[in-house]
Amino acid sequence: MLAKRIQPMVFQARRYYVELMFQVMGRALQAVSEVDENVQNEARALPDGFLFEMMVMPDGSRLIVEHTGQGRFHYHGNTAPRPVDLSIQFKHIAHAFLVLSFQEKTSVAFANDRMLVDGDISYAVRMTRVLNRLESFILPKLIAQRAVKEYPADLRLPKKLISAARIYLKVATNFVETARA
Amino acid sequence: MTNKYYEFFCPVKVIAGKAALEHIPYELTGMGAKRPMIVTDKGVRAAGLLEPVIAACEESGLEITTIYDDVPPDSSTTVVRDIAGIYRQEKCDSIIAIGGGSAIDTGKAVNILVSEGGDDIAKYSGAGVLKHPLKPFFVVPTTAGTGSEVTSVAVITDENKGVKLPFTSSFLLPNAAIIDPRMTLTLPPHITAATAMDAMTHATEAFTCMAKNPLSDAYATAAIKKVSQSLLKVMDNPKDSDGRLELAQASTMAGIAFSNSMVGLVHALGHATGAICHLPHGLCMSLYLPYVLEYNLETIREPLGELLLHLEGPEVFAATPASRRAEASISAIRKLRDALYKRCQLPRTLKETGKVTENQLDHIAEMALDDGSIMFNPKEVSLDDARAVLRRAWA
Ligand SMILES: [Fe+2]
Repeated sequence: MLAKRIQPMVFQARRYYVELMFQVMGRALQAVSEVDENVQNEARALPDGFLFEMMVMPDGSRLIVEHTGQGRFHYHGNTAPRPVDLSIQFKHIAHAFLVLSFQEKTSVAFANDRMLVDGDISYAVRMTRVLNRLESFILPKLIAQRAVKEYPADLRLPKKLISAARIYLKVATNFVETARA
Repeated sequence: MTNKYYEFFCPVKVIAGKAALEHIPYELTGMGAKRPMIVTDKGVRAAGLLEPVIAACEESGLEITTIYDDVPPDSSTTVVRDIAGIYRQEKCDSIIAIGGGSAIDTGKAVNILVSEGGDDIAKYSGAGVLKHPLKPFFVVPTTAGTGSEVTSVAVITDENKGVKLPFTSSFLLPNAAIIDPRMTLTLPPHITAATAMDAMTHATEAFTCMAKNPLSDAYATAAIKKVSQSLLKVMDNPKDSDGRLELAQASTMAGIAFSNSMVGLVHALGHATGAICHLPHGLCMSLYLPYVLEYNLETIREPLGELLLHLEGPEVFAATPASRRAEASISAIRKLRDALYKRCQLPRTLKETGKVTENQLDHIAEMALDDGSIMFNPKEVSLDDARAVLRRAWA
């Protein structure tokens, strides 16, 4: 409570940013699964109707996508039609912010105990690769290198995504600056 | 890196050394336990390893209430349910797991059922499901390798569904691990070698993978030093109980290291190979270790170079130019493997195992890519990369 009185603006901004990035990632996952063969191949190994969730503990923002078959993802917003199969949970919104503002790689966040996996680990490994691929899609190369362990050599950006990424990136850098100040 | 963050946790009391087993009754009564159940396997019983434990307890007036000695190498949900049934029937109040990875994992799973209630262990599968401490639980490892006595994980096979259920909770950690050199004294040479190399791999991967941290580093380097100094001595003189104790401690230390900083590609490949070709885990570790280090080399040059000090000692370390130390570390591990091959034919390549065929490599690669350990490998691994490492490890 005390913290809230001291820095209300930063906290609100961070929450808003995390929510926004979840929306961005949800939509981007769906979009990328329509154009990128690599993502499709990864996703194909998931069962049809597989529900994936990323959320902030204890009950904060979340993003839910479904594998609808043939490697395609469908973004469900923040509500799941049924219990999810795999959940990646950030322990605190601050950790979600670190990852979603690309200051900490997803794999590093796992290594640093920032988040928990609830569900089959092999699916979590697969989704991490999909997220890495996604991050390299929606971000310019320089920032993506910070977000993923290795920037894929075979990445060709569909035009639509590039322009989208630029907009979101602007939002992102603004927030990073606000939060750091 | 100012962003560096880590967690380190190991609340297990380690009771190690000569006559360590004799501390079990004191530890049990200290936790108010009067009716312990032993969970073990036939091999342990046949090797006569239960006697010193039972004798130690009886001398202190503590009866072992019941013994379950039929844990299979790959424990299942049915076995866990059966043991929990006996525990309840005999009104036990604590568990002593004696054995290798499987007996220890079974003990952990039984402890969930008898503490939380019910017959369906699958219900508790996953991370963070348990919210309360469990019954008093003690572990006496009889192999020096897995490190299961200090990990918060158990894996149990669900026979009906044909899947392996993982259980993760810090409540699975035993109250104490009892490391007594008597328990590993009769371990046959090839198992001694393979399990020690498992410990070596735990420590090496803990020290070179993404979640490394200063505390786990300390345990990892100490473990590597102990294995390097004692393994061949024990191979040449199996009754060397000081050497046995060193290896057993190394295994526990490596376990503490990797349970706090995870493992990487060696384990991902090893898990897949174990599942497909039914090769023992330690053997796979020994086999893949140098090939994976070579694959990761440019990403881990610095930490791997540091390991030379613990692998070969200060003289070799000082005599090796800093720029060559990482390669020298790999050579030291290869040298150790050659020495083990000479003594007990511990395979160095997939071909030497005689149990892997070349057309299985793709399947192994695919499966390794789905293994959780691959997440913490310092270098991103693609399917082609995994295939390439396997081809190098072939012959
Ligand atoms: Fe291992």
